[in-house]
Amino acid sequence: MKTSRPVAASLAVAGYIVMIVPILFVVATAFTGGRSLRFPPEGFSLRWFEAAFAYSPFVSALVSSLELALLATLLALAIGVPVTLAIHRGRLPGKGIVEGLFLSPLIVPELVVGLALYQQLIIGLRLDNFPVLLIGHTVLMLPYAVRVTGASLALADPSVEEAARGLGASPIRAFFSVTLPLLRPGIFSAGLLSFVTSFNNVPLSLLLQSREFRTLPVTMLDYVQQSYDPMVAATSTIILAGTVVVAVIAERTVGFARIFGGINR
Amino acid sequence: MLSRRTGLLALPGLALLLVGFLIPSVAMLFAPPGVSPLDIFARLGSMLTDPYDLAIIGRTVGLGLIVTVVSIVLGFPIAYLLARSTSRWAGVLLALAIFPLLLSNVVRTFGWLVLLGSNGAVGQLLVGLGIVEKAPQLLYTELAIVLGLTQLFLPLAVISCYSAVAQVDPGLDDAARGLGAGRTRTFWGIVVPLSAPGMVVAATLVFAGSVTAYTTPYLLGGSSQRMLSTQLFSYSSVSIDWAAASATAIIMTVLVFAVSGLSAVVGRRGATS
Amino acid sequence: MTTAAEFVGVTQRFGDFTAVDDIDLAIPTGQLTTLLGPSGCGKTTSLRMLAGYTQPTAGRIMIAGTDATRMPPEKRGLGMVFQSYALFPHMSVAENVGYGLKLRKVPTAERTRRVAEALDLVGLGHLAASRPKKLSGGQQQRVALARAIAITPTLLLLDEPLSNLDARLRVQMRAEIRRIQAETGLTVVLVTHDQDEALEMSDRMVLMRAGKIMQEGAPVDVFSAPANRFVAEFLGYENFLTAADSSLLTVRPEHLALGSAPAAGGLHLDGVVADVAYRGVDRLVTVETVDAQGTTVRLVADVRDDEVTARPGERVTVSASDSRLIRLAA
Repeated sequence: MKTSRPVAASLAVAGYIVMIVPILFVVATAFTGGRSLRFPPEGFSLRWFEAAFAYSPFVSALVSSLELALLATLLALAIGVPVTLAIHRGRLPGKGIVEGLFLSPLIVPELVVGLALYQQLIIGLRLDNFPVLLIGHTVLMLPYAVRVTGASLALADPSVEEAARGLGASPIRAFFSVTLPLLRPGIFSAGLLSFVTSFNNVPLSLLLQSREFRTLPVTMLDYVQQSYDPMVAATSTIILAGTVVVAVIAERTVGFARIFGGINR
Repeated sequence: MLSRRTGLLALPGLALLLVGFLIPSVAMLFAPPGVSPLDIFARLGSMLTDPYDLAIIGRTVGLGLIVTVVSIVLGFPIAYLLARSTSRWAGVLLALAIFPLLLSNVVRTFGWLVLLGSNGAVGQLLVGLGIVEKAPQLLYTELAIVLGLTQLFLPLAVISCYSAVAQVDPGLDDAARGLGAGRTRTFWGIVVPLSAPGMVVAATLVFAGSVTAYTTPYLLGGSSQRMLSTQLFSYSSVSIDWAAASATAIIMTVLVFAVSGLSAVVGRRGATS
Repeated sequence: MTTAAEFVGVTQRFGDFTAVDDIDLAIPTGQLTTLLGPSGCGKTTSLRMLAGYTQPTAGRIMIAGTDATRMPPEKRGLGMVFQSYALFPHMSVAENVGYGLKLRKVPTAERTRRVAEALDLVGLGHLAASRPKKLSGGQQQRVALARAIAITPTLLLLDEPLSNLDARLRVQMRAEIRRIQAETGLTVVLVTHDQDEALEMSDRMVLMRAGKIMQEGAPVDVFSAPANRFVAEFLGYENFLTAADSSLLTVRPEHLALGSAPAAGGLHLDGVVADVAYRGVDRLVTVETVDAQGTTVRLVADVRDDEVTARPGERVTVSASDSRLIRLAA
């Protein structure tokens, strides 16, 4: 396909190998019949999938992760969409600074944020773990909620709201009948990105976990410390399958590549 | 239509940002419980002079730079070939490069445990090819960390470079070729300079990510190859040394801010030149 | 003639910049009034103040005799067509046109009828179920028109409605808008920077510059007697010269004659032919001459008589009768 540029093509292939091959190996190992991570895998079996489904810490962690991701996403959208409106449609002093402020959680290392919340809110203010975990995840999702919906809003013709007003719609009516529908793809993309980011998060979930509430990535991390068996591979494969479904949904609704920031393919 | 009322919609978000992020972060960095800012600065000072700590900082920054360079060297060709391709597979390949971003770092890094482990595929491949006699210890090395971090951040590099290359008018290539420039000169003289902003973004994202990543250095580095992130976790949860934790956090944050600031300056410089 | 709307001492300031400077303007009912001028002259700002999207810094906006200055847009009952058309992309054409009626809680049967009427008026009845993004620019514009008309507004406001259309469509739509205005009897205020548009479509022209009104009146009156140099230049006049008494004169190219036949009074100047542009139906002859103040000027004469010769470098006399000379304020 691209044999006219051999150097570039070789580098590209090397890049894809680094990105994809480890994942392929995880999947391959999940189906092993043996007990260890050795390669080549010994036989073909679904036993590790059965084990993963039966292992209650993984199952309850999965449920916890899903709950947390859903709640954090909803919160982030509920708080973030009004912020987008304020930035793009409202009269705000220092608009650029405000926008930068809402993007700042992306810059600060997650571990630092996690430590700050753990130290100040859990230890300092003696708050419970779960609320602080929820706050932390929501804060982390806020930049997506603001930036991705902002891109949607920026693309929309601002006159459309004025047109609705001119035709007799009150500001609230104009928002719900005209602006919100325009925001729908942005909200959906932001929601998808936020959900996935929350589900996969390690630093925050690690520092803010409690005995009653642990997320799946953290539980898996823990498990790898003690046992080196393919159950993690099986769980990973299950997560991979779920993520593929998510990606397909994303592609069908808003276009997969577009979610990651203005790539129009 | 701008109205003051709409501006107020930002208030709940600002409140959350303040209470759930800004205030705790500043408080943690400079005034953790039972520790005075002077203690922190003292600890910071000792970290920047103590050889053990300096080695960790050096490793973090050094590996970060290596990962950044490798990511761009591998990522830019991918971005270029995909952006200029007319094949219908280009979209699929692009999605394939982006998709791993949706997976947890644990899942993505775990693959290296399989590949680099003592019974892993890479070791056996090397033995099989006759390069070495016994499978070498590849896990818990700096090489493993570099591989793991590159895997994590290549997609980001691809995305940034892709956006940049896609914006470079292919007509410019034709113009240059018409004026007598060969393929290589067109690539290095036209496409690369014009895609530079995208590469700067890629470098910033990859470096910042590498310097702050936790899961991958933790899984692939073990206790011998410590990085700033694993140290920070240790101070936070194991030794509960708030002064050291804050000092480490400050170093990490400064690194990331410095890189972001640098790229902003470079970006502005490039825009005016 | 009654007044549909009025600007009373209206000023609009944005910080240091004065966009509209103390204007008084009456919009007559049932006529098409054009606000014409270069960009930045305040015409769009004035329209937006009329519509209620911007509040004047000083002065009052009267609509149908009521002080509407503080009234929000949704209460003013005006129909506006935006330069970008601003059609609702997630609604069909019929839903777009019926949007204002739905807000006014018009019963479904009547709403359907009025939507159909509006679409027929603009000739798009067959596209009622389509989505805006499937329509051409010209069709989108007509949907925007129908949407504004459907609510039977007190005033119809058009913000540069034709500037996004290609040349051929633009000419077509000028006649269309004229026809619709005549059929409905609506009071229309139209903003444009194109003087041909204004001349062809208006009952009344208002020329603006830097926030002030330079001249207003019926097109024929304004065109044949521009009040000042700005208006003359904007309407396409190009022959400017100073008379013996220091007053500024202009004359239309078709009223300049070449040749030495003198008329009583009027203009006689000797000069040299600088350029001849042959256009088939006529020739534009540029003559370099000196006006009464000694300034070198170039005058363009529109020559239709094939008998008259003019070649670059030839000496000629340009003349115009006194009645054809227009005196301008500076």
